[in-house]
Amino acid sequence: MTPRKVMELVDVWKVYDMGEVKVEALRGISFEVYEGEYVFVVGPSGSGKSTLLHILGCLDRPTKGKVFIEGEDVSKMSDRKLAKVRNRKVGFVFQTYNLLPRLNALENVELPMIYAGVPARERRKKAKELLELVGLGDRLYHRPNQLSGGQQQRVAIARALANDPSFILADEPTGNLDTKSGEEVMAIFKKLHEMGKTLIVVTHNPELLKDGTRIVKLRDGVIEDMEIRGVVYGNT
Amino acid sequence: METLKEVFRSLYANKLRTFLSMLGIVIGVAAVIMVMSLGAGMKKGVTERLTSLGSNVIMVSPGFVGGRGGTVAQAVETLKESDVKAILDMCPSVGKAVGLLSGSYLVQYKNSNTRISVYAAPNEIFQILNLKVSRGRTFSEDDKSKNVLIIGQEAAYNLFKNEDPLGKRVYIVQGSRKIPFEVVGIFERTGSILMFNPDRMILIPYETGKYRVFQSRGGISMIIAMTSSPELSPNAVMEIDHLLYTKFHGQESYYNVVSQQAILNVVTESVNIINLVLVAIAAVSLVVGGIGIMNIMLVSVVERTREIGIKMALGASRARILVEFLVESITITFVAGAIGVLLGVLGSKTVVNTFGKTYGLVAVIEPMSVLIAFGVSACIGLFFGFYPAYRASRLSPIEALRYE
Repeated sequence: MTPRKVMELVDVWKVYDMGEVKVEALRGISFEVYEGEYVFVVGPSGSGKSTLLHILGCLDRPTKGKVFIEGEDVSKMSDRKLAKVRNRKVGFVFQTYNLLPRLNALENVELPMIYAGVPARERRKKAKELLELVGLGDRLYHRPNQLSGGQQQRVAIARALANDPSFILADEPTGNLDTKSGEEVMAIFKKLHEMGKTLIVVTHNPELLKDGTRIVKLRDGVIEDMEIRGVVYGNT
Repeated sequence: METLKEVFRSLYANKLRTFLSMLGIVIGVAAVIMVMSLGAGMKKGVTERLTSLGSNVIMVSPGFVGGRGGTVAQAVETLKESDVKAILDMCPSVGKAVGLLSGSYLVQYKNSNTRISVYAAPNEIFQILNLKVSRGRTFSEDDKSKNVLIIGQEAAYNLFKNEDPLGKRVYIVQGSRKIPFEVVGIFERTGSILMFNPDRMILIPYETGKYRVFQSRGGISMIIAMTSSPELSPNAVMEIDHLLYTKFHGQESYYNVVSQQAILNVVTESVNIINLVLVAIAAVSLVVGGIGIMNIMLVSVVERTREIGIKMALGASRARILVEFLVESITITFVAGAIGVLLGVLGSKTVVNTFGKTYGLVAVIEPMSVLIAFGVSACIGLFFGFYPAYRASRLSPIEALRYE
């Protein structure tokens, strides 16, 4: 059985019109991600990583080309529908964690479920389970400022998993962490991968790549190289 | 529900700012409530005083003749005793009518003398104007042409200072003559009603006044008429007006017919206008408060740009962001409105307790005005909160996430 295609980019361009000059951030990017894959998007700064991240995360639309998530074209969607896709299909993990400071760990994890309309009792239970999964079962009622960086990032991972998204999209998840905390976070990613979750990690740190199944190397807005390791789906 | 919880949390996190932004609305609402309740109280007071006279009283007074002005001397020339009889005979809506003589005279007691308004009227006047004495007696049939008088309390004080006026002999000075009178009664304190102020006047029997003081040959200063019920008042005014119009051959400026009802209407109307103006002035502070809220909310949006970005990334729609900020501003104004109503009510109670005795003020707090105050403050939240909320909802999620 061929695994499900979770995400597909077809000839994606992003051009920023800066008045007199046009900046081509992405110049025809095409690749696909299958369920259960552990994808790394790497490249030096200015290679178009951030732009690609925004398009993958449905925070932005491509100038040209198509973006399919679970077979659905999101490249022309309205803001309202895109918000829904971000809520249900994408699980964000940011470099700076981006937890809401006034909410405790549990409430932070519940937030995407509130937007999805999950009943209170159910989301509370789910949030607890997820925090236990990332090893924070004893930190449920701590505020972000009462948690270490690594713990905050683990809360963010639990939050990303809240609505069982199609894929986790992580932006330099270890960028703000010390080596040990970074390793802990990457260990959780590995565990999630083993559980069958689909992960896309955008980074410039080559040390993280060892567990990846697909490495997309960007340079100057194009895919310079794509390395497929281990099980190869679809592509022949 | 979740939104409300979140709103309270963020408002609580910025306690001082929330309080300051509420202040404008609190003051505005309190001012409006105070003005409205004191205004309603003032209206009630004025109306009560005017109706205490009976809303079925009609006053006919001489008008301004030629260029000479409407002084008493001229008035005596235009209205006559016969007019009273004519009104009683020809105007079916009129129940009672009396003619009055009035003038300002020097009144003397021992070595002190003072100028006081003297009225001469038949005994029906006590009924028609609802005049009462606090001490002594009113006039009886026997007093008809006796030299007796009833004096108002202020006039009595001016003349007698701390002496008891009852039974004292005073003189009304008429030219070179001094006419002796005995004080038989003192009016109850009422404040001024219509053109009369019983507190400051002297009343003498009609016959006495006519022959000894005013020396009138049938001319009178004014006519006071009364209908049997207030509903007849407009009819009676028309009938009297018609009668006098005919008598004076269409010279409308020779006389004035005013019903208590009409005065009441005019006064009520003016009080309403005054109240409206005061409320409008107070409402300006509400608008200022609203602008304050808008200002704070705009700052709050900028400050929470990153938070907005996070929420958008997690799937909050633009509509949801808009609603969150709107709920926040409405909550601020609603709570501020509640505090304002409370302060307004307490404030007007305090004003009444402090000055009420002196000026006869009362506060009337109408449930409607409280409801309006709440409604208006919520609307202000909606109105002035909309623009900041809209700005928040239009933020680009990418820009917002990047914001430091």
